[in-house]
Amino acid sequence: MFENILTNPIFAVVITVLVCFIISTLLPGIERKYIHARIQQRIGPPVTSPGIMAPLKFMFKENVNISSPVPGLYKALPVICFIVVLCVMIALTPQAYMIPALASLVAIVGFLKVEEICYVLMGALSKSVMSVNMPFPDQIKGAAHNNANRSFIEDISAKRSLRMITYGSFPLYLALFAPVTAAGSIFLQDIVSFQQVNGPFLFTVSGGIAAIVFFIGYMIILNEYPFSIIKAKSDVIEGPYMEYAAKYRAVVVITRGFFMFVLGAIFSVLFIGVPPTIMSWGILINIAVALIFVFMMGIFSAFSPVFTNRQLLPTILGATLLGILSIVLGLL
Amino acid sequence: MDEKVPKSNIIETEIPMGTVHPAALEPYRVRLFVEDEIVQEAEITIGVNHRGIERIMEGLPVEKANALTEKICGICSNSHIWNSCRTAEMGLNIEIPERAEYIRVIMGELERLHSHFLYLAHGCEVLSHETFSMRVFYMREIVMELLAMIGGNRVQYGCSVLGGVRPRCDLDEAKLLRLKNDMDALEENLTGFVDRFMADSILLSRVTGIGVLPQKQAIKLAVTGPTLRATGVARDLRTTMFEYDNFDFNVITQPDGDVKSNLIMRALESFESIKIIRQAIANIPEGKVVNRDWEMFDTDIVQSYIEVPRGTLYHSYRLEGGRVRHSIIRTPSMANIGAMQYACIGDQITDAQLCIVQCDPCFTCTDRAIEIIRR
Repeated sequence: MFENILTNPIFAVVITVLVCFIISTLLPGIERKYIHARIQQRIGPPVTSPGIMAPLKFMFKENVNISSPVPGLYKALPVICFIVVLCVMIALTPQAYMIPALASLVAIVGFLKVEEICYVLMGALSKSVMSVNMPFPDQIKGAAHNNANRSFIEDISAKRSLRMITYGSFPLYLALFAPVTAAGSIFLQDIVSFQQVNGPFLFTVSGGIAAIVFFIGYMIILNEYPFSIIKAKSDVIEGPYMEYAAKYRAVVVITRGFFMFVLGAIFSVLFIGVPPTIMSWGILINIAVALIFVFMMGIFSAFSPVFTNRQLLPTILGATLLGILSIVLGLL
Repeated sequence: MDEKVPKSNIIETEIPMGTVHPAALEPYRVRLFVEDEIVQEAEITIGVNHRGIERIMEGLPVEKANALTEKICGICSNSHIWNSCRTAEMGLNIEIPERAEYIRVIMGELERLHSHFLYLAHGCEVLSHETFSMRVFYMREIVMELLAMIGGNRVQYGCSVLGGVRPRCDLDEAKLLRLKNDMDALEENLTGFVDRFMADSILLSRVTGIGVLPQKQAIKLAVTGPTLRATGVARDLRTTMFEYDNFDFNVITQPDGDVKSNLIMRALESFESIKIIRQAIANIPEGKVVNRDWEMFDTDIVQSYIEVPRGTLYHSYRLEGGRVRHSIIRTPSMANIGAMQYACIGDQITDAQLCIVQCDPCFTCTDRAIEIIRR
């Protein structure tokens, strides 16, 4: 009976996702404690603090009334984001390969797009006290422009997110499709099988370039410095997350850690050919890749200022061209 | 550079920031009028920290009033009490011992280092470069400890008194040696930081050509101090102050008036401050540090201007029965607000806070002034 449970695919997926989730809660702490704090020569928070203790604390805090025109949807969005990330994780496990519609690159790209769109909606629906207006025309200094439309700073985040969806995340999606050119299939099962026969895609010229592009896209989609214009501290601060408190904030924090791990797992599947499953030692490679990405991201972000549109556009353009190059090389 | 012309007709959106915003050191309100994330006009409103210090000074004994001026600013506290004492000393013809003058200069230059390092660190913070920000704050810590060694506190040192400096602020051999060693360490650290900063092309791309304040506009707005010198005007009141007669230093200027020029200005000026402190340590004369031999009498309005880290500081009052009357204090931040509003025009919203802090990161010192708009 015990053997039957172990070989049950649903059980294997649940345990895999659970293990990956537990490890993912440590990733934000590792980034802050062992990379940022070490580079900045300070002690930093306990490693469990940002990813485990903070969500636990938030979970038991009293919620505040959210300032949003559609509070129900606004509060639901972090949960939707978490479910989307969970779906990507499930799609990556080999047990999900029996459902081709789920375990395909198109599905993964679709899920990632939903995650991005949630960010736009959060920005559009958030109205924090940070930019609250006077309830009357502001004439303290004899203001010249009383009839201008008034906008909350989170709205800027929404507009920036929209731009990032349009062109910002382009490098990531190009990098995701680079392995397809080698394997000749959009199904994860075929991509993994191809690499198990021919070796990891990462160690080809096309794969190497695509890996660099993937890393840039990884930082962009995680809104990490220098690509954090959506939540730049110099203007929009936390952006659309500003109003989330208590359990909603906890979900936001948990989702970020989990997303970091899942993106690492996507890389493992597409570029190394090792899917995450508790039934194989290959899961250690997934964990190692997630950690390497976190370390690299931590180092890059610690030494970069936030990019404004002036720097962002050329960087994304350059990364996009590299992505196209990797695809062309893959096709040749 | 051509003068930037604010748009007065079509303004798409107003983005209000503050009065409380994490990127701001102090509470103030900024209204950015933007089109496609480009700032077309900016409006800064202060008034949240109004404390009425000039009003409180009215009728106070001059010694108490001097001590009160220190509360005007947490960063330039020494400059205020120095200039306030200087005003009374000029009115009462009090002769200052030379050793006290040297100690005042040392304190003034340490405060300049403290202010410039805070400026650099906050600038890096607004650029979201936390690592550089931390690095400068560590350097600033050396200065803060030196200020605490001399004054007894990290801020509000109470160093200057009428006739010189407080006896507890006198510098013995051990303190002078520590000052000398720490200046060496500071110079080494600062050189490393400047080299690293100037070699970072990503950082330079964020600060070059951003928040430009043309020289003509800076003069028109009556901007003083490093913000003016960063536009290429070699004007430093220290060259005319008798306290600095025995010191050799250069007036640093930069050509462009942008964020890069302002940051480099402060860094290079910090080297000059280290140079001045070294000269003071080497040549500090022996003798008493305070002259108690003076008499109080009524004076006319006395005005005193000194160069403080942010620009030109003005104090004036008259003495009547040993009490202060008609006190007026004008800090450089007053003119800097106009410069900030101007500097924001034409840049991205993300750069707006950078344009503001490049002129001056704090306002509280000037939050006493009243602007009368005649219609």
